[in-house]
Amino acid sequence: MVVSSDVLLQVMIWGLYAGCIYILLAIGLNLIFGVMKIVNFAHGELLMLGAYVTFTFYALSGFNPYVLLAASVPVLIVVGVIIERTCFRPILGTGKLNEIFISIGLIYIIQNAAAMIWSDEWQIIHSPFEHITISVFGVNMPLDYLIIIITTVIILILLFLFMRRTRLGKAMRATSQNRKGAMLMGINVERMDMLSFGIGAGLAGAAGTLWVVSGQVFNPYMGSIPAIKAFAIVILGGLGSIPGAIIGGLIYGIAENFAILTLGGAWKDAISFIILILVLIVRPTGIFGESAE
Amino acid sequence: MIDMNKSLGIGSKKTRVYGTIFLLILAVIIPLIFGMNLYLLTILILTIIFIIYASSWNFLTYTGQGSLGHAAFFGLGGYASALVATASGLSPYITIFIGGGAAALVGLFIGAVCVRLKEWFLAMVTFGFAIIIQTLMVSQFAGVTGGWDGIAAPRLIGSDVPNHQLIEYYSIVLIAVFVILLFWLILKSKIGLAFAAIRENEMEARAAGIDPVKYRLFAFLVSAYFSGVAGALEIHNLGYITPEIFGVDISFWPIIYSISGGLGTLAGPIVGTIVITLIWDGLQSYGLTYLRFVIIGLLLVLIIIFLPKGLISLPDKIKGYLDKKKKGS
Repeated sequence: MVVSSDVLLQVMIWGLYAGCIYILLAIGLNLIFGVMKIVNFAHGELLMLGAYVTFTFYALSGFNPYVLLAASVPVLIVVGVIIERTCFRPILGTGKLNEIFISIGLIYIIQNAAAMIWSDEWQIIHSPFEHITISVFGVNMPLDYLIIIITTVIILILLFLFMRRTRLGKAMRATSQNRKGAMLMGINVERMDMLSFGIGAGLAGAAGTLWVVSGQVFNPYMGSIPAIKAFAIVILGGLGSIPGAIIGGLIYGIAENFAILTLGGAWKDAISFIILILVLIVRPTGIFGESAE
Repeated sequence: MIDMNKSLGIGSKKTRVYGTIFLLILAVIIPLIFGMNLYLLTILILTIIFIIYASSWNFLTYTGQGSLGHAAFFGLGGYASALVATASGLSPYITIFIGGGAAALVGLFIGAVCVRLKEWFLAMVTFGFAIIIQTLMVSQFAGVTGGWDGIAAPRLIGSDVPNHQLIEYYSIVLIAVFVILLFWLILKSKIGLAFAAIRENEMEARAAGIDPVKYRLFAFLVSAYFSGVAGALEIHNLGYITPEIFGVDISFWPIIYSISGGLGTLAGPIVGTIVITLIWDGLQSYGLTYLRFVIIGLLLVLIIIFLPKGLISLPDKIKGYLDKKKKGS
């Protein structure tokens, strides 16, 4: 199949934008994994909640939906902390499969509670910049995509500064490097668990807002597929590695859009697993992963 | 030392024997008591099929593996059996075992990919295979499988036969008893010991000359085969099959049943399936739609946190609590 360079560039930019939402999810997962050594399989449901929080505040206030990041992130941080305290802390250190099973319980609870509150119909929000397209590198792209890319970059820079420059961020990194050592240094590791889960959930909330403003439809059951893609990215980039998540996210977003172009739309979701399985066969620790556990 | 009782079930031998006899009698007489209540019979048939399915899923956990994508095998068994039965005109009672074979073949392939993976990776890859197979069914293979519309499947027993539902029910009970008996025999044998050794400590098992890869593959094969048989039974009972069968729900149900009953025990999936189905259908009769999912989810979370060995450990736990109280007073 011959693809012109125009189409190629177009696909790259679409991939870049799609990658942004996945990156936010994947980094959240990685943060939680780094500190607590658990994988939150219900992460997509937090994305969905972020989308609905944005939707609700938008319906109530009519603000520009981008501003509502200021609502979805704090709300999701609180939700994340509650989930960590009530569900994950009691099973910390028990069987490794337990967190997967508890996530399944959470998926059922969150999805259907959302369906009770907001009904299970597909919803959509129209961004105020919906019809504006701009030209970047000779490619036409919606203004929304550019804003989403820039917003993601800003969030990542803030996160980077938090992790590198603040005491709390350093304590968090210490905990993820060596939990016992951190405990001996007087770090309250349980508070770090809470914090990492809160931030992870907050990032998922931000991803939810971006999902909504990009004009994609959402319903209470939409979270699973993006979450699974985020896992594929986490594994692609290496479990626990944040740079890995960013690069994995970009590769993934682009690969997905190429797959749609060449194999057809039905493969949009399955392609993530093909990538995932290939990576696991070739390099089980991921591209940037350190040694396997 | 590996405690064999632990992997076969909790409780004394006597309770296990009585429990089994009690359940069997129950399975035989319930339809006789309630007569030809079709609604009840349909639920009973589905429950027994899911007992086979959940037990097959649970069989994997004996080697310390888990799967989030067993719907792949459930569905493949169904599709293969439906296609073979339609093309050859054989009785579904024969083709279900061919369907299981197709599921086992794919299971062997997936198992070979997954056998070295652990925990989250294994969970993700198995989950992924279910979605990949569903995608194949509705895109590349749509010509044979009918795409999203699905295809019709011949009934287990033609509806012109009198009491056909009742005969179906008893035949499925028979198959379930056979499957669980087979699992029991496997787990009682040397293979079961090897499973336990691998689950408890893979390095030590290796040092003792047990090849974990071989046993894990075997567990995958058996689990996939009987999941396929269960799937084939279900679709021949329903009379049609659609790609919905590969859905996440179908992958998650056996997990929910097994965990709530008790992971890594023979009785667990049976008890779990019965109890959760009772709760589920009870909630449905109250007209709850979303709330019953929430309740099941809550139940699952509570069981994992407070009753990690599942519902079958509840009597022991209550007994232990009472004993402690008695000693205290």
